[in-house]
This record gives sequence, structure tokens and C-alpha cells, in this order.
Amino acid sequence: MFVDRRAVLRVGGAGLFGLTLPALLRAEESLKARAKSVIFLHQYGGPPGQETFDMKPNAPAEVRGSLKPIQTKVPGLQVCELLPRMADVADKLTLIRCVQHTMKNHNSAGYYSLTGIAPPSDDQRLRDSIDLFPAYGSIVDKFAPNAKGIPAFVAYPHVIRDGSITPGQHASFLGKSHNPFLFTSDPNAVDFRLPELSLPSSISPERMESRKEILKLIDGQTHLLEESAVAQGIDESYQKAVSMLTSKAFKKAFDLSEEPESLRDKYGRTTYGQGCLLARRLVEAGAKFINVYFSEFIGGPKGGWDVHGFDNKPMDPILKSYLLPITNQTLPTLIEDLNQRGLLKDTLVLWMGEFGRTPKINALAGRDHWPQCYTVLMAGGGTKGGHIHGGSDKTGAYPALGQARPEDISATVFHMLGINPETEIRDRLDRPLPISRGKVIEDVIA
Amino acid sequence: MRGVLILLLGGLGAQAHAANVSYQQEVAPVLSRAGCNSGACHGNLNGKGGFQLSLRGESPSTDLITLTRDTLARRTDPMHPDDSLLLLKATGRVGHEGGPRFSLDSQEYRIVRDWIAAGCLDDAPARPRLTRFEVTPASQLLFEPADHVRIEAQAHFADGSRRNVTHLVTFEPTAAGIVNIASDGTVTRLRSGELNVLVRYLDRQVAVTLAFLPKRENFVWVDLPLSNPIDRQVYAQLKTLRLTPSPPADDATFLRRAFLDAMGILPSEEEARAFLKDGSANKRERLIDSILARPEFADFWAQKWGDLLRNEEKSLDQKGVRVFHQWLRDSIASDKPLNVLAREVIAARGSTYQNPPANLYRSLRDPYSRAEAVAQVFLGIRIQCARCHNHPFDQWTQEDYHQFAAVFGQIDYRIVENKRRDRLDAHEFAGDQIVFLRREGGLKHPRTQELLAPRLLGSSEPTKESDPLRLLANSVDRVDNPFFAKAQANRVWYHLIGRGLVEPIDDFRVSNPAENAPLLELLAKSFADNGFSLKSLVRLILSSRVYQHSASPAGTNAEDDRHFSKSLVQPLEAEQLLDAVANVTGTKLKFDGFPAGTRAGQVAALAQERRSKKSAEAERFLKSFGKPERLLTCECERAEDVGLSQAFQLLTGEMLQDMLSEPENRLGRMLKEGKQDAEAIESLYLTALSRYPTTEELTRLVAFVGKAKDRRPALEDVMWGLVNAKEFLLRR
Repeated sequence: MFVDRRAVLRVGGAGLFGLTLPALLRAEESLKARAKSVIFLHQYGGPPGQETFDMKPNAPAEVRGSLKPIQTKVPGLQVCELLPRMADVADKLTLIRCVQHTMKNHNSAGYYSLTGIAPPSDDQRLRDSIDLFPAYGSIVDKFAPNAKGIPAFVAYPHVIRDGSITPGQHASFLGKSHNPFLFTSDPNAVDFRLPELSLPSSISPERMESRKEILKLIDGQTHLLEESAVAQGIDESYQKAVSMLTSKAFKKAFDLSEEPESLRDKYGRTTYGQGCLLARRLVEAGAKFINVYFSEFIGGPKGGWDVHGFDNKPMDPILKSYLLPITNQTLPTLIEDLNQRGLLKDTLVLWMGEFGRTPKINALAGRDHWPQCYTVLMAGGGTKGGHIHGGSDKTGAYPALGQARPEDISATVFHMLGINPETEIRDRLDRPLPISRGKVIEDVIA
Repeated sequence: MRGVLILLLGGLGAQAHAANVSYQQEVAPVLSRAGCNSGACHGNLNGKGGFQLSLRGESPSTDLITLTRDTLARRTDPMHPDDSLLLLKATGRVGHEGGPRFSLDSQEYRIVRDWIAAGCLDDAPARPRLTRFEVTPASQLLFEPADHVRIEAQAHFADGSRRNVTHLVTFEPTAAGIVNIASDGTVTRLRSGELNVLVRYLDRQVAVTLAFLPKRENFVWVDLPLSNPIDRQVYAQLKTLRLTPSPPADDATFLRRAFLDAMGILPSEEEARAFLKDGSANKRERLIDSILARPEFADFWAQKWGDLLRNEEKSLDQKGVRVFHQWLRDSIASDKPLNVLAREVIAARGSTYQNPPANLYRSLRDPYSRAEAVAQVFLGIRIQCARCHNHPFDQWTQEDYHQFAAVFGQIDYRIVENKRRDRLDAHEFAGDQIVFLRREGGLKHPRTQELLAPRLLGSSEPTKESDPLRLLANSVDRVDNPFFAKAQANRVWYHLIGRGLVEPIDDFRVSNPAENAPLLELLAKSFADNGFSLKSLVRLILSSRVYQHSASPAGTNAEDDRHFSKSLVQPLEAEQLLDAVANVTGTKLKFDGFPAGTRAGQVAALAQERRSKKSAEAERFLKSFGKPERLLTCECERAEDVGLSQAFQLLTGEMLQDMLSEPENRLGRMLKEGKQDAEAIESLYLTALSRYPTTEELTRLVAFVGKAKDRRPALEDVMWGLVNAKEFLLRR
């Protein structure tokens, strides 16, 4: 048996924690790609760990807040009392409680969370340019593209923004062909349909057919299609678009009326709830990376997790009446539904915001931005389940055990999808850049 | 006693060896050659596996310490040279993520091993420096069956000695998959193709241009009388490459192409009819002259300069983008020499409302971005690589970069007022600003914090000038400035022909030679001789036979897309496309803040805040088809590729559908005028494609409309077909 030098060194170090060589080799074996799809539930605004998945019941009152933890079936894993249904799926969850970085603004940190690449500066209005990194899904689309008819990368139902559009939501320098299939229509609307996938109301399918005939007639007059690669490229995009217009599988995914009313109710009759149901259907149709944005804006009514307490709107009522109930309704439903259909084992659910919130509740009865320590939740796709990686200190201010950065999350996600995180892409200056600069968090992999 | 003697002798032997192996001139190059210090490996910012070398060996003395002192000196072991970690790794005798780099019996191995055995010494300070680096051949054409060529490298040193260093240089092909390069410099063809091979040694690099070409057996050269100097240069190259030039494009194609390339618009139906009917021999020349005099010419080139000079509303505000655009437009319309335009922008100061060219320094708010932008836009040099490390493919060092940035180090602003809407947005400005030059201070070196002496690129001495910007501004058109004229000529060529002679067009460097160097020289000279007149240069190019080639292949040129043997087929730019669609459908676009009917190509800059649905739709369309945000001073920000979402917008998009079905649009007007189906179809064809429908088209479409219950929707379908046709979406 061949054991390389570094492996022996690693065993030497790991031996302290009781990891034997055979265990190590087993670990190596299990580090195979598990996930076929990723559902990225992006929690814009920055959820507070202290009120969700990293409760601090023993901390002083100004840190622990008014909400209490409940114990789940997993020893040591507590969640907020307003997330009781999360407790039911605790054995499916992996909590990474030691994520940290240094970006304190929504757009810079948001970009970080969407790409795993640290922004050039902690800029509140970081401008979206093709100098910045592509979204995860665009990289997946480049290295693991889908066959015709089903896009690899789908994003909805918002383009998220804080003052200006948050970078990291498109293909950037990888080129438009790797942009997500993006739509901003509300999956919870009664007449939900995709304008892209349906003909304008005045155009019957027969009329579309005659239009295509006319187009064929005109295109037949020149030799462009035989002679020009550019013309062939356009034709290919047209064919792809037409195949999606006519693809039953993909179109069907968007027909939420096929789902039983009871299940739709269970997901929640909200944009987010029906969006998550749609995500499951897209996974079934074969989409590989799905960005579901929880909210378009960081806070405000129907907004995200940015609960500073500004404008006389303290944190607790927003959490109790909106943010926690909707999370409690939708997230566990998605995990259970995926599990019941046998999809969870190869679908990674990633629940993550751009940062956490201050340990100490501020004078406005809210919490402010806190990137120094926060919690990221994963489920399925080959993650352990019922597992906590790392830990925060007694007030949730800093990691006390372990450390992970957004780039480690990206490395782990790419790895789970079977894409080597060191894979290179070339930017505008033709510089070779690895798709992730982090390390795979091996501890979370089952 | 005997033991001591042996030790001593051993020591002497090693000393003798050390004289033979030079760390700087042999060992360091071997590490480059083996790829150890490349960006993807140990040259990476963070190194790899705990071992970090300077990128491409730019700092051999730092690397020496890393190799001999770092990691408890495990990497090099003079006592047991063969067991040095460096060699164990490089030969794959212990696991190495980068795989084996050279073998035990290689010359590379011997060099590194001998150097280690001799004690890992640095070169003596007296060692003669490299003075000249020569590579042969400079370029080579190889027609099948010829399939290989050997590159040789000679190094000349200060003491007059000369050495063949082929075994020490690094070969780097600029295109993958065309050739295989052996360690002795033999380049062998894998498939036909053209490429440069960069040959690097120490701090020098030379590009060898190689073309491995199919035999092109059926090639027959026919001499043509050529009056335009461009044609002579291009045809000379085509002849050596055995490429047949395509015949001239027909009148309709030429007319549509010239309108799109020089003005961004389609000819009207009447213009198309008149040009097609005109039987005179010089009608193309007359057309070119008329184009140059038209206001749309100024609109179009002002838009290009607006893209480059970052004319965007967030930084410049509503008034700012308008005055800047107006200034650019007026400059183009009056054919202001481009050296004067450059000078006015580079040396600009004062109120950004009163002196519009000062707006570039309003949007670029630090010396580095200004230096990078000015170098890229006006000199065609991308120096940004040298911010963090010496430019890997060019002569520019970090020192060059920082001292050039210092030229812009005294620029400051007085913000007269700032009525921005978003108080959190540090990029947003609304209100006048005064750009001025501070008397004191300047740019400090980021590491040493010492004040940097401003120095122009390519000059060896810092300037003592109190206003280094003016010095830079006045240097652009000096006859000894090797950059400006070529960079501008290349840019104009690119915009008209579709591909630069140097590509990317703002990336001039020794390692990126021009596709046709004599042609670039010629264009630059003609441009300078004609007082840097844009219009003269455009006229010269448009009237060449090369510009007027058909896009259809002829003879041997089917695969050629880089030697200008045929016209390049390209998608319309976002503004061209939207304006063309509006023109064909006979509808008016709406952009907030601009009068109804303003073309996309006339908009100074897109508004930051949108009010009307129509404007939002049009802007979404433009952005989706690649209209740049103007956040980079680079043409590359514009992406014209047609992807899925673009296809959907044309296939089923509601905006297009609304334009087609608007009651008062072109179709509505034609029906009101009582046009017959055939007339209407002919008129639509001339408007959209600048040509008459073919007999087949006319017959079938008249039949189609004739048998429809209602002719209006049927004619809408014809219009839909026209704007979705490849012939419409593409410039050819």
C-alpha cells in the first residue's frame, strides 16, 4: 500500500484526536462528490444566530435576547423556540457555527456570500462590474453544463440589491452564456408563469409556427448559417430557447398547480414558500444550482434579516411575526419533502446570509451587522446531518472552536458537486484564478 | 588525519563545481522552465503547499532564501544533494501535487543538483550581467508537410561572452493545442494554426510568431491593381499565407455595413433604393464622404468614447453626462484631432460642468485607476498587472507602475455640492466639482510610504516638472511616442473591421505582436500625417478593398478570421440593434430624461433612476444585449454574444411584440397609405436588410399574407421574421 509522505504527517497530527490511519483512509474514500444539485437559500440582511441556530441561553440578557432555545433530538443541537419544526429535521442538519469574515456592509458581504471571493474593499455600494467574480451557479454551468432544455443555473425571484445591485448574481467575466436562467415573477402569484416560457398572449402556437417558417425562408437566402460561427451560435441559442419553450420537463417544473394543495400550503403561500417548492421541482427536472433569494431587500416589510431596530421597529416583533414563522414553515418542509422523495441524499440545501448579528442587543432593541462569527446551515447532498461543526464563544462573538470562511463554504460546495475547488478560470486580464480560495470543510461530509 | 584530508578534498571539489553553476543565470531559469514559479503553482500569491516563490522568478534573491533557509532548510541539502526536498519533489520521488517536473537524468536535474552540492551559493557580484537576448527565428511560416521548427536562444553577457541558453529558457505558447514544444526548443505541429511562442530568460522575453498552415494546394494568386495602401499591406500578407481574398461585397451589403460601422444605424428605405439604383463608378466613395459629414457619425463615435471615458451618471450626475457627451460629440463632429482630444482629457482640470473633459478624473478617483485608464485608453498599455508584481508579459516593473501612477498623484477635487440621493453611496455625486492639482504632496509608495517621483512610461528619469500631467498630455503625439498613434489607429481599425491588428486592442506589448505589423505602422503613420484626424482614418479604411470584402469565403480563406481576407460577421451592438428594431417597426423609443424619439445611440448615458416602464424596458434590452455599464475603461466591457435570454427577448419578448403590434407603427402607416402586400413587403425588406426581397421570398410571402384572414397580423409576422433573421442581427 502506498502512503504518501503528507498523509503520514497528517496522521501524526491527527493521532492526537484519535484518528487512526484506517479511519483516515475511510475518510478519503467518502470524500466523493455526492450532490447532484444545490439549493442555495440566500438569507439577505444577515440572520441573527442568537435567534435561530446558535442560541446563547446562558449569556447575559442583553446577549441572549427574549427567545429561548428548544432541545432537538440531536444531543447538543438546540434551535430557537420559534423554529420548532426545524427541531424535527435536526438529524438532517449540519450547522457550521464558526463562519467569519471582515466585511460589514450588505453589498460587499453579500457578494462574498454569493461567490466565496472576498471583495476588493468593504464598500457599501460595491459596484457590479465584470472585474468581479461570477456566481457559484455560473461556475457550475461552466464546468458541469446541462443538456439542452434544462438550464444548470436558475435564480429567482429577485435580483437582490441594497441601494445598488449586489454583485455576484451573474456570470460576470465567464460570459453571458453562463448567466442564470433568471426570473423575477412571483411563484406565489395565482397566474404564475414565466414570460420567457410562454408566448405573448396575442401569439397562438400556430402563428408562432408561421413566424418560424418565415424566419427559415429569410435565413435560407444567405449562407450565413453555413459560413459563420457567430450565426451558428445565435442559431444554437434560438434552438435552445425554442427547446425550452417546448420542453415539457422544464415547463412542467414551473406548473406548481400540479402539486397537491396540502403540500403547497405546507410550504407556505408566500413567495419564498412557493419558491422553495419550485426549487424542489427544478431539482427533479435536473437543474444543478438554484439560487432562491429570500428577499429582494435587506429589511423592511417582506424584507430580509436586517433587524437593527431602526425607525422604531425593534427586532423581536419582526422576528416573531415574520422572519421566524416563515423560516419555520418553509425550510423544514423543503428538507422533509426532499427527504421523502429520496432527493435529499444528492441535493445540498445551503441556508446562508451575508453575515451574523451583534452579540449585544443595541439601544434600539435590534442587532447590528456582525461578520466575525455566524452560522451557516447545510442539509443533505452528502453532508453528515445532526452535526455541528465548530462553535462560537459564550456570547456568539467569535469562533471558539474551528474557523471557516466564506471561501471554505464555496470550496465545500464545489467539492460536493464534484468540481475541484482549485479548478481555474480566467478573468478579463487572463489571470488564472481558482474558483475557490478556501479549503473543503471535510468534517461536514458524511 | 586521512579523514580530514578527504573532507577537505571533497570541499574543494564542490567549490570547483560552484564556479560552473550560476544560481541567477541557470538555477533560477530552470525553476521557471519547470513551471515551479508559475501563477498556478508556487508563484501563486499564497504559494502552494507552504512553498512560495516569486511570480515567474522575478525576485531570485528572495527565492534563494526560500530555497535555502525556509522550512528548516529541508529543501536543499548540500550534504546529500540528491535527497534535497526540492529535487525529490521535482522528480516525483515523493508525492508532488504538481507531478514530476523533470527526470533524474535531465539537464535540469543536473544543474540544480550541482548547485546544491556546491553549497547553494548566490552568484558573485562580479558575475557579468545579461546584456542582450536573441531568439531565432523571429517568425516562421510552415506549410504542410513541414511540421517542425527549432527555436534557439542566445544570451550575450557584459564581458562579451555569448552562450546558447536554449536549454535554460522557458517556452510558452499563446494558444493551446496547436504545437508541442520539446525541451530542446523543437516546436512540432499538432494541428494547423497560428500562435506566438514566448521565450523567456531572466527578465527578458521575446515572441516568436509561428504559423503552421495547411498546404493550400489549390491556391492561385491573382494580382489586382491596388490603389489603397491598406490593400497592399494586407494582400502582401495574404499572398505569403496562400490565402485568397474574398471578392468585394455587393452594394446592399456594403451600404448596410458602412452605415452600421460608421454611424450605428441602418440606411433608410429611400437611401437603400437610391444607392442600389445609382450606376456611377464612384458611388461608394461618395457614400463614404457623405457618411463622414453626417451628425450620426458624431453620435456614434461619441458613444464609443463615452464608453471608454466612463461617461456614467452615478459619478458624473445628469448634467455631467450631458455636458461630457456633448463635448465628445462636438469634438468628433468638428474632427478635432485625437491628440488634442487626448491632451484635453489628460491635462483637464477645473469645473466638471464648465470643462467637460475633467470628468474622467471625476469618475476615476484615485491615482492608480487614473494611471491605468490613461495608459489603456490613450497608450494601449495594460499596466495594471504591474501593480502587484512585475508585468509577467511585458517590460513594466512595479516601479514603472507606481511612478507612473505618481503622475496623477496631485489631482484633487473640490466638491462644490453633492446632492446625492443615496447618502451611503460613496460613488454617487450630484453637483459640480472642481478638479485641481495640489501643489504639495503626491502619491506615496504603498510599502515605504515615501513620496514617489512621477515618471512617464518608457522614460528612464523621473520628471522635475511641477505639472507632470501636462508633460504627459504633451507627450502623446510626439513622434518618438511609440504608443499613442498605433493604439488609436488600432482602435479605429477594430471598430470598423471587427478585429484589432493587436488583440486585445489595448494590450500592446512585446509578447503580443501585431497581426500585420507593417499595416499597423502604415495606419499609425497615415493617422499622424493627417493630423490625427479620425475622419481621414475612417475614410482610408472604408475605401479600402479590404474593408469592402464580402463575408463569404473564397478559395482558401474559409478558416481565416485574423488576416482580413474576408469581412467578419458580427452581432450588432445593443444600441445598433435596438435602434434598428425601432426603425424597422417604425416606433419611437423612450429614454427617461431625453426627448421621445432619441435613438439608443444618442443617449449620453443611461439614467440611474427610471420612471417609465417603456424606458425601463428599453434599458433592460440594451443591458441584456451588452451595453456596458461604463465602469471599466475597456471595450471589453461590451459583450455582444447572443445567449438564451437575448434569444427569448427576440423570440417571445413583450417589448418586441408591442413594437410590432403598435397601431401607428410603420405597418399601420403603410396600410393607411393603401400599400399592396407586395409593395409593403418590399419596403420592409429595404428598411430592414437594405435589399429587395428575392423572387422566392416575395412570392411566398405575398401568398402567405394573401391567404391570411387579416393582413395586418400576417405582415407583422413578416416583420418579426425580418428582425429575427441572421441577416438582420448580424453585420457582415
